[in-house]
Amino acid sequence: MSDILSLSLEDKLYRTKYEPDAAHPHIRVNSDYCVKCGDKPCLFFCPAQVYKPNPNDANLVTVSHENCLECGTCRYGCPFQAIDWQNPDGGMGVKYRYG
Amino acid sequence: MDSDDAVKVDAVVVGGGPGGLAAALSMARAGLETVLIERGEYAGSKNVGGLFYGTVLNSLIPNAFEQAPIERPVSRRSIAYLGPGTHMTVDFGAEAWSQPPYNNTYIVNRSQFDRWLAKQAEEAGATLLEGMVVDDLLYEGNNGTRKVAGVCLRGGEVFHADVVVLAEGANCLVTEKARKALSLRSGRHEQDYAVGVKEIIGLPRATIEERFHLEPHEGIALDFVGVPFEGLVGGGFIYTAKEAIHIGAVAKIETIVKSGRNPNDILDAFKRHPGIRSYLQGGELLEYSAHMLPEGGYHALGELTADGLMIVGDAAGLLNMSLYKEGTNHAMESGRCAGEAAAEAKAAGDFSKAGLAGYERRLQEGVVLSDLKKYTEVPDILSGAPGLFSLYPEKVTKLLVDFFTVTPEPKSVIQKRAIRTFLDDLPKWRFLKDVFRARKML
Repeated sequence: MSDILSLSLEDKLYRTKYEPDAAHPHIRVNSDYCVKCGDKPCLFFCPAQVYKPNPNDANLVTVSHENCLECGTCRYGCPFQAIDWQNPDGGMGVKYRYG
Repeated sequence: MDSDDAVKVDAVVVGGGPGGLAAALSMARAGLETVLIERGEYAGSKNVGGLFYGTVLNSLIPNAFEQAPIERPVSRRSIAYLGPGTHMTVDFGAEAWSQPPYNNTYIVNRSQFDRWLAKQAEEAGATLLEGMVVDDLLYEGNNGTRKVAGVCLRGGEVFHADVVVLAEGANCLVTEKARKALSLRSGRHEQDYAVGVKEIIGLPRATIEERFHLEPHEGIALDFVGVPFEGLVGGGFIYTAKEAIHIGAVAKIETIVKSGRNPNDILDAFKRHPGIRSYLQGGELLEYSAHMLPEGGYHALGELTADGLMIVGDAAGLLNMSLYKEGTNHAMESGRCAGEAAAEAKAAGDFSKAGLAGYERRLQEGVVLSDLKKYTEVPDILSGAPGLFSLYPEKVTKLLVDFFTVTPEPKSVIQKRAIRTFLDDLPKWRFLKDVFRARKML
């Protein structure tokens, strides 16, 4: 087991339980705005790093909606409000056992 | 589904957190046919918390603290500053806090606590529908006379109700849509959100009691400010559960965006601070979570009722973000107020805004709005006097460290130097002003 002080975010997310819904992404990013967005704060403000640089196009981001902790930070943090976040389907998504 | 089959109940509650559950419990007890709809697989599965004030719980359910899944009572508290390699703590408690009802202050795992509370609401007669998503409200009438008539579920079904209680929590999509659709009056300021990230770290019971100097039936809530939270309006906390500790960091989203820091990195910096890391040693991560908090306070409160509608808890922005950090208890109190107002409305056969006026009247007369009003200026002070939680505690910590730094020099020399260093770069006028403003935080 790795030291409690040196866990990566991936290690941490692995301990959180999800009901994954790969077929129904609950997050959509309007990429028209990403092209204009210099700082791309979504790359750092998300506690689960759902948003990552798109390896094929530095102007765009990729979305790993299955890691979403459903906090809603992206709905306020995106300077263009280009992130359309909806509640996942019933019973899907993050499932806290402790909370 | 055609409208003839449509289900009609007295009340629909959207969201199975403490606010929605307190509303459902109160309405069911008053004889209203009540349905609560929760989008998670179970009530609590989307919820995150830790420190829980139980005055409303203990009045809704007598001696609830004896049956509820409480991890530990809070018999001690502390407030600490974490400097660059230094730290300073004020630690306090009272013997009475270790005796029932434990100062009404508890540490809970919210997913487990909310699930228990949901059971209480069910036993009172409320119907719980879990794993179902409400996407919008159902309206009747046009602009001027528009009233809420129920909810629309994902998949197209509708539920008709005389009154809907929105208890979605901080991340409240239906509430936001409803505020627009009904042109509800906004607060003076826009709502201002913080985000918290938290780890639950498993440790043997005895280790926790040793590290935090606790008896088996005791617990501690520690609050932190300082260097790990530099450039942020925010801080950290540690709460002791039975066989785990909750460690988290909370900061205003606006300041996270400005700082360019990732919330998980902020939490890691906090965990690795020399004043913190020894608490965590040998622990095993059980869960990582994130949740938003509405920290705008009184000035961010908008209109909370409409014809057939009441908004409670974090969705209403009723969290007290002062040192008390009281969200859950306020949510439960607002839920109870809404429940009682709905019962009045039912008796009078009037679910219009006027018929539901008992909700806001109860909030006004009770502790929720009294406390929010008292701390009206806290959000401004936190943003306007950043020195309060960094520069000044740092100065005091340095003064203490310098004062007790042992060298071969005479004490008079050491002390003079410590005091001179303290006074040298202290912005005195600003310091007085900030301290004067800070009194409003207490």
